[in-house]
Amino acid sequence: MTAHLSPTGTVGRFKAHFDLNNQEFSIAGSVRPQTIDELAPSLALLKESIDNVRGVLYINVRRLAQMNNTAFHAFSRVIIDACRVRPELRFVVITSSVVGWTTRKFGRLSKIEPSISVEEYDSEFYPGQSFLEEGGFIPILRTQTKMTWRHERSILPRHGMRPGIVMADICCGIGDFAVLAQKEFEPARIVALDHSKSSLAYARKVASEFDITGIEYTYGDASEMLLDDDQFDLVTCRHSLQIFNRPAQILKELYRICKPGGRVYITNEKNSHCLGEPRAESIRWTYNEVAKLFEHFDMDVELGPKSRRYLADAGFDDIRVESFMVTNLDGDPKDFADMISAWEDVYAGDMAVKRGDSEEFIKQFRQGFKDHISAALHPKGYAGWPIWAASGQKPL
Amino acid sequence: MPTKDANAEPSFRTMIQVDMEIASFLSNWAHCDYISSYLARTISHNRPDSVLFSNLFSSALNELLEVTFRTRHSGGALECRLSRHGETDRIELTFACGQEERTFLEDAVARVQGVDRQARYLSSLSGDVAPSRDMMLLELTVNYNATLRLEEVDADTVTIVVDLGGLAN
Ligand SMILES: C[S@@+](CC[C@H](N)C(=O)[O-])C[C@H]1O[C@@H](n2cnc3c(N)ncnc32)[C@H](O)[C@@H]1O
Repeated sequence: MTAHLSPTGTVGRFKAHFDLNNQEFSIAGSVRPQTIDELAPSLALLKESIDNVRGVLYINVRRLAQMNNTAFHAFSRVIIDACRVRPELRFVVITSSVVGWTTRKFGRLSKIEPSISVEEYDSEFYPGQSFLEEGGFIPILRTQTKMTWRHERSILPRHGMRPGIVMADICCGIGDFAVLAQKEFEPARIVALDHSKSSLAYARKVASEFDITGIEYTYGDASEMLLDDDQFDLVTCRHSLQIFNRPAQILKELYRICKPGGRVYITNEKNSHCLGEPRAESIRWTYNEVAKLFEHFDMDVELGPKSRRYLADAGFDDIRVESFMVTNLDGDPKDFADMISAWEDVYAGDMAVKRGDSEEFIKQFRQGFKDHISAALHPKGYAGWPIWAASGQKPL
Repeated sequence: MPTKDANAEPSFRTMIQVDMEIASFLSNWAHCDYISSYLARTISHNRPDSVLFSNLFSSALNELLEVTFRTRHSGGALECRLSRHGETDRIELTFACGQEERTFLEDAVARVQGVDRQARYLSSLSGDVAPSRDMMLLELTVNYNATLRLEEVDADTVTIVVDLGGLAN
């Protein structure tokens, strides 16, 4: 059931929907009517939803960016009245911290009727997140970006990067890529978004220390961004689709904010293809296990070569895919070795433990990382980390 | 009532100002939404959390414009000025209105300072079908921590001054 008002007027910028299976009424967009008459279909839908549920009605306002007081009063009234008529019914309002006002404002309703409660729900797609935030992982992320940048700086112009563009880096992490891109390519504007407050705080601190202006570090949820449609010439999302359990949904959001004719650029790995010599077998075994470990946590670190399909399914044209290998010969082999050792800490030290792996397994698992490190530091050794860079154009 | 030059706070830097004929502002309700969205976006770029800031600022400014829209005017222009000092963003809406409306606004602004504002807001939410203009102003103080005052520009022109501090923090 959907009430969708005229797309031309201001009131047409929102959608209300009821899902009986989930007992969920959701309203999204911007709701700024002049009078409540304009809301009649959605208010009727809310009443109907209330009549059709038992026990609890979820009211999903995660994507409700704007709602004026006229509308807020009207919807609140329906809910409050229902509380009085049906004391057995609970109302759970689901908000998102990203919108800024909904948790506080809907929270007031629980002061009026205790059967209304508010839950702030932000998609946490990244089980590895806590490991990374707690550990001293930041220097490693920097090293990682430094190593990939050597390749990406020459790749990016083929994927829509050029001076003067308006770009967004979604899942920007600690923001190094945005800084490097700004220095090298001088885009007119960069919005860099992430859902980790500590990473953003770090990024802002670096920017202010180095007197970098013009990068807008923004807190947000990549699966439901507050950014407007059709805004950016280039949207980048690096090493991140692979850590979401629903990459297609993120890609849909990247598509939405990209201008028609603009491009979305993604990079991803295929971990099982990490390689090294000597001791190729042990290394290969471990990285095969890395892929399975991530799969256990609903992440697909084998996504790299699937980029083409993901981009095509999301509706992109002119898809370009290339791959490159970060190796121990690119720069200081020590950097490569440090990166692997940080991976070992997180993957074997934390994630495998969390999965409940045996000591024996973990020992063998660690061995492959150690062999990869030896390969990197060996005077005749070779160690590699392959990455797929892909982009597509949003049709004009 | 303080007069315009009592507002001698040179440290507030004007970010943007929009002037329009009241008559054309009133010709379409959607102007409130357009103006608030556009201005919010324009001044948010150099705020740390630009998207969040813009969304919150747009909410607050839209309510003020809606209050203005619902006010009986006596012609002339609507002036909307946004300025900033440190963490504080200031909205100034200047328009002409008759004595009756002015008295209403004065009273409304005085009432929102009251200590019982939280309770009054809640009782309006549970009691009224539609919010009054009073409530819209009150809501700015309850949910956005705004401070409001009214300034007299001349005999029939007033300015509503709203300060919003640390919106996206
Ligand atoms: C593997 S890191 C990649 C960071 C950066 N792009 C890089 O290449 O170093 C993944 C990033 O996604 C962020 N993230 C996780 N869930 C998110 C969400 N729902 N919305 C936005 N960012 C999210 C994490 O905070 C983390 O910074």
